[in-house]
Amino acid sequence: MEKVLITGVAGGQGRLVARLAAERYEVVGVDRDQLVSFGDEAPFRVYVVDLMRRKFEDVIRHERPDAVVHLAFVRHFRTGVETRHKINVAGTKLLLDYCAEYGVRQLVVLSSAYAYGALPENPSYMSEDYPLNVSRTYPEVRDLAEVDTLCSSFLWQHPEVRTAILRPVNTLGDSVHSAIGRYLKRRWIPTILGFDPMMQFIHEEDLARAILVAIERKLRGIFNVAGPGAVPLHVAIEETGGVALNVPEQALRPLARRLFGLGLYPFPPGAIDFIKYPCTVSDSRFVAATGFKPKWSLLDIFAQLKAERHRDAA
Amino acid sequence: MNRSEGAFDDALGWLLSAARLVAPRQIGALEDEIEAKLARLPTPLNEFGYDPWGFSPHAFRRPLLMLALLYRYYFRVEMRGTEHFPEGRFLLIANHAGQLPLDGAMLITGCVLEPDPPRLLRGMAEYWMPTLPFVGTTGVRIGSVVGTPKNCEDLLRRDEAVIAFPEGVRGLNKTFAKRYQLQRFGLGFLRLALATDTPILPTVIIGSEEQAPAFTSIGPLARLIGAPAFPVTPTFPLLGPLGLLPLPVKYHVEIGPPMHFTGNPNDEDAVIEGMVQQVKREMTSMIDRGLRSRSGVFTS
Repeated sequence: MEKVLITGVAGGQGRLVARLAAERYEVVGVDRDQLVSFGDEAPFRVYVVDLMRRKFEDVIRHERPDAVVHLAFVRHFRTGVETRHKINVAGTKLLLDYCAEYGVRQLVVLSSAYAYGALPENPSYMSEDYPLNVSRTYPEVRDLAEVDTLCSSFLWQHPEVRTAILRPVNTLGDSVHSAIGRYLKRRWIPTILGFDPMMQFIHEEDLARAILVAIERKLRGIFNVAGPGAVPLHVAIEETGGVALNVPEQALRPLARRLFGLGLYPFPPGAIDFIKYPCTVSDSRFVAATGFKPKWSLLDIFAQLKAERHRDAA
Repeated sequence: MNRSEGAFDDALGWLLSAARLVAPRQIGALEDEIEAKLARLPTPLNEFGYDPWGFSPHAFRRPLLMLALLYRYYFRVEMRGTEHFPEGRFLLIANHAGQLPLDGAMLITGCVLEPDPPRLLRGMAEYWMPTLPFVGTTGVRIGSVVGTPKNCEDLLRRDEAVIAFPEGVRGLNKTFAKRYQLQRFGLGFLRLALATDTPILPTVIIGSEEQAPAFTSIGPLARLIGAPAFPVTPTFPLLGPLGLLPLPVKYHVEIGPPMHFTGNPNDEDAVIEGMVQQVKREMTSMIDRGLRSRSGVFTS
C-alpha cells in the first residue's frame, strides 16, 4: 500500500484529508501540535514535530512516503505577520528539499486562490496563468504568492516529483477555521457600502476529496479548485443568517487598521479588498483533468454554517 | 425572491413610485412587459437567481423599467433588425457618441424589449467601473462585466451576446463637428470574434450623436476630475449637472445582418485592420442610409 505523509494534520483540513486518505493509503501525519480530536484512535501514525526542526527530516528519511500532502500553513495573524511568513515560506522550502532528496513521487500543495488578489480589473474567471497579484493590495499575505511560486518553480525543476498545486476558493465547513468562515460566522458582518463582489465557496469535505483526487490521478501542474458556484457576498451573508453592516469604505479602512494594530480585529486592512472586489477563478483545468464534481451545493454549505451559528448561539 | 438590492435600487424605487403617480397605467403595463421578457432571457441562472458573472434579472427589473421609460417616451427608440440575431453568441458592434453612454443603455434595453426571445447584451465596462460604489455593483447586476479580453471570451464561449463600441471614448466624447464620423476602431473585438468564431452584427444608432452637441473638450479639467473628457455643450457646464441631460433626440437603431470572419486571431495588426475596415465600411454606409431616411433630429 502506498504511504501518504500529511503535514499540518492536526488542522481542520488536515484531519479531514487524513481520515479520507486512511481508507485507501497508509497515512503518516505530522504537525507542530498534538492531534486532539482523534484521541488514541487515530487510524494512522502521528509525529508531533515542527517542519523547521531537524527531527522532521528524520521522519521523512525514516518513513519514506510515496506521496506528501502539504497543509502546514499558518492562515491567521495571531503569531504576527513575520512569523506567519517565515513558517509558510521557509517551511515549504525545507519540505520541497526533502521531497526531492528522499524520493517522494507525488506532492500536493494546498495553495489558495487568494494568491491572485482581489483587484478591480480581475476577470470574473481567472485561469491558472493569471499573475499572482495579492501583495499589491494585501502585503500581509504575500507568503501565499511566495509559497505558490516556490512550488511552481519546484514543479519545473523536479519533474521526478509529480507536483500538484491546488488553489481552492473560500473554504467553509465545521472543521476548518478559515478567515472567511470566521468572518461569516459573526452576528454583525461589516461590508463596504455600495460593493457586493461575487464569491465562490467550497465545502471542506469537497476540498479534502479534491486533494485525494490529485493524489490518485497523479496530477502534475497548477489547478484552481472552485466548488459549486458563485454568489454575491450579501447573498452569502443572508443565507448563513448574518446581518450585513454596510459601512463606507472611508470609515472601514482606518477602523480596521487601528483595530488590527491593537489586536482587536483579526484581519489587516488589506483584507477589505476581498469584500470589495471579486477574486473568482475558473476550475476548468482541474475539472478537465479529474472530472471532479463537488458534492456540497452552495445551499448545503450555507445551511450548515447557519446551523452552526445557531448552535454557537445556544 | 424579495432580496433587497441595496440603497441605489431603493432610490430607483422611490423615483418610480413618483412616476407611477403621473402615469400609473403606462408604468404598470411596462412593468408586466418587462417581467415577461426577463423570464424569457436565455441566460442560465443558479439557485439564487444569479448568472456566473453576477447578473440578476431581479436586480435588473427597476433599472430596466427606468431605461424602458427613457426608451419609449424620451428617445422614442425605433429598433430594426433584431431578426438578424443568431441563436447563440454574437458580438454587436455599434457607433458610440453623446458624452453619456446612453446609446449602450438604449441598445441593451431594446434587445430585451423588442426581439422574441429577448437577448441580454453584455456590456464591456472600463477597468475603473468596479471601483465606483453602487455604480460598479449595479453594472454587474444588469449584465456588464469588466472589459478584459478574458471576460469577453468566456462570455462568448458560453453563447452570450456581447456589445462593444470599438471607438471607445474617442467616439463617446467626440465633438459635434465630428458627428456620424466613425473614429478610429480598436482591433480587440475582431481578434475575439476570430478566437471564438463569433458572428459580428454591425449596428448603427442615429440620433445619439446629436443628444449632447459638444463644441470642445477642456483637457486640463478632464485630467483634474480624472475623466476622459470635459465636454462643453450649450447646457454644460453652464447649467451645472442638470446640463448633462441629453436633448430629447429620436433614436433610430439599425442592426445589420451577421458578418463572419475567419483567420488567426493573433495575426499582425495590418491583417486584422483589413477585416475591421470591412465592418467599419458597412457601418458607414448604414449611417449614410439612416441619415438620409430620417426627416428630423427630434422627429421620425
